[in-house]
Amino acid sequence: MASAMELSLLNPAMHHYGIAAKTASHLPVVPARRASSGAVRFRVRAAAAAPPAPAAKPGSPKKRGKTEVNESLLTPRFYTTDFDEMEQLFNAEINKQLNQDEFDALLQEFKTDYNQTHFIRNPEFKEAADKMQGPLRQIFVEFLERSCTAEFSGFLLYKELGRRLKKTNPVVAEIFSLMSRDEARHAGFLNKGLSDFNLALDLGFLTKARKYTFFKPKFIFYATYLSEKIGYWRYITIFRHLKANPEYQVYPIFKYFENWCQDENRHGDFFSALLKAQPQFLNDWKAKLWSRFFCLSVYITMYLNDCQRSAFYEGIGLNTKEFDMHVIYETNRTTARIFPAVPDVENPEFKRKLDRMVDINLKIISIGESNDLPLVKNLKRVPLIAQLVSEIIAAYLMPPIESGSVDFAEFEPKLVY
Amino acid sequence: MVAPATLSLRPCATLAPSRAAHAHAGFAHTSRPALSVSCPPTRFETLRRAATAVSDRQGSAEPSEKQEDKPRTYYFLVANAKFMLDDEEHFQEQLQEKLRLYEERSKEQDFWLVIEPKFLDRFPNVAKRLKRPAVALVSTDRNWIRFMKLRLDRVLAEQFDAETVEEALASNPAELKFDKPDKWTAPYPKYESGWWEAFLPPKSSNGTA
Repeated sequence: MASAMELSLLNPAMHHYGIAAKTASHLPVVPARRASSGAVRFRVRAAAAAPPAPAAKPGSPKKRGKTEVNESLLTPRFYTTDFDEMEQLFNAEINKQLNQDEFDALLQEFKTDYNQTHFIRNPEFKEAADKMQGPLRQIFVEFLERSCTAEFSGFLLYKELGRRLKKTNPVVAEIFSLMSRDEARHAGFLNKGLSDFNLALDLGFLTKARKYTFFKPKFIFYATYLSEKIGYWRYITIFRHLKANPEYQVYPIFKYFENWCQDENRHGDFFSALLKAQPQFLNDWKAKLWSRFFCLSVYITMYLNDCQRSAFYEGIGLNTKEFDMHVIYETNRTTARIFPAVPDVENPEFKRKLDRMVDINLKIISIGESNDLPLVKNLKRVPLIAQLVSEIIAAYLMPPIESGSVDFAEFEPKLVY
Repeated sequence: MVAPATLSLRPCATLAPSRAAHAHAGFAHTSRPALSVSCPPTRFETLRRAATAVSDRQGSAEPSEKQEDKPRTYYFLVANAKFMLDDEEHFQEQLQEKLRLYEERSKEQDFWLVIEPKFLDRFPNVAKRLKRPAVALVSTDRNWIRFMKLRLDRVLAEQFDAETVEEALASNPAELKFDKPDKWTAPYPKYESGWWEAFLPPKSSNGTA
């Protein structure tokens, strides 16, 4: 049986971007971010026990006023892509190289639906949320919000791809739809977690209000491959750490991570197959440069992000930097099975560079928080941003590691397994 | 919705001591391979494959349609034991996940780990490229093995036919010992050595247990 979260997220009205569903807003809901316009809003139910409220209708009186979604370079992204190009890429008649067998195998794996009955809540959630007070409470709310946004952004992109590719490649399209099923489940589960804190992300509002980052298909492949695989390594690392150190098990959602992150891992495998089906994205010098670029951006973003939130990781007993470095090593090792080149993250100089970036980034943040005039702030930021950029470029120029799937490797015939 | 899972024809031995405690209705091991071992919950509609595994699976949907025993095709991935059992920790999680699912859905197990498999003798070109001891992941589910190849990548894939599951999964004695990793960066301990025992074939067909 599908979970309730999934049902409310996969509302049939939610066919494409910008269309909000008629799901009722349930009381009590204190939206984390207030939506403004009079348009219909889509909201995941906040409390299962709450009596159903009448559905919000277009034009019904609502608080009006300017709203903004707080976004920075490091907030989870919403992606969109060139769907026409995607259709071309997966049209089996145009593209004879498609390894349809691999997609058939993936489809079976996704249909199996390993986590069909996994995302069921229990009373522990509410109890844990009630117990959490002070700064830790705020940190957990932010964690849930960010994770929910990230999962939801996957849902939107995959859902749309599933819809758009139906004609040209029904198998690939169905896999995308099944992956959006998983993402919807994850996002819904996180949003339910937020409801224990008397909050709910207004996902319909987010759908419309967030800026979408446009990436050409090949960049979508690199970026989503990495975000799925790094997601797996983050979740499994937290899960296994808490299993070994149960005294830090302060919130029950982590107990779900072991099964949960297997979904992420499989999603990554699908992008691996998509890349293999488009060898032009893997086999030339440009592909190598882009691969390194995307690895670096993902690793650096995570490191800077997490170091700004070390209270969260320390709150569950992790050393933020050690946790991140482990996740980076493992993700890089996994990624080397498909990307033609990856950065040499195990070179100690790589971590030194990351740490310098963190220091610069913290200085930039503290300028923002100071009482200086905006102009002064900007002037103070310029040299620091230049330093940050030069660190990033230096990291990019470090000698990379040649890598890739053995299905493509020239050295394969000599390989000893 | 979950399709009717499997029908096991001749249960005889449970899989492994650790599994005996569980409800083992769907996990009984048949002396001859059951006909229905790899029926996915929602069946895969592609019919164009000629492989016997697929035709068997189709047949399994009809409980009335009993088929006589016949050789089955086994698909495998193989690499050195260190890679399969020690380095790739996500592999353990995947196998556990699959086993859990089979229990939940009362499906008969159709995947095994075989240490130093005897069937390697049939594949000299594969065998000569392996560090030893070698470990194979064997299944009657062609699609799943194909998926696992995508996941593991650094493995060799082949297939063979065997009259019985014992014959297919027979192995040579081998001792597995992995050195502690020089550098352990994780904030958690490694999975305990021996996790793979739950996935070895029943003792009758396995010399190494």
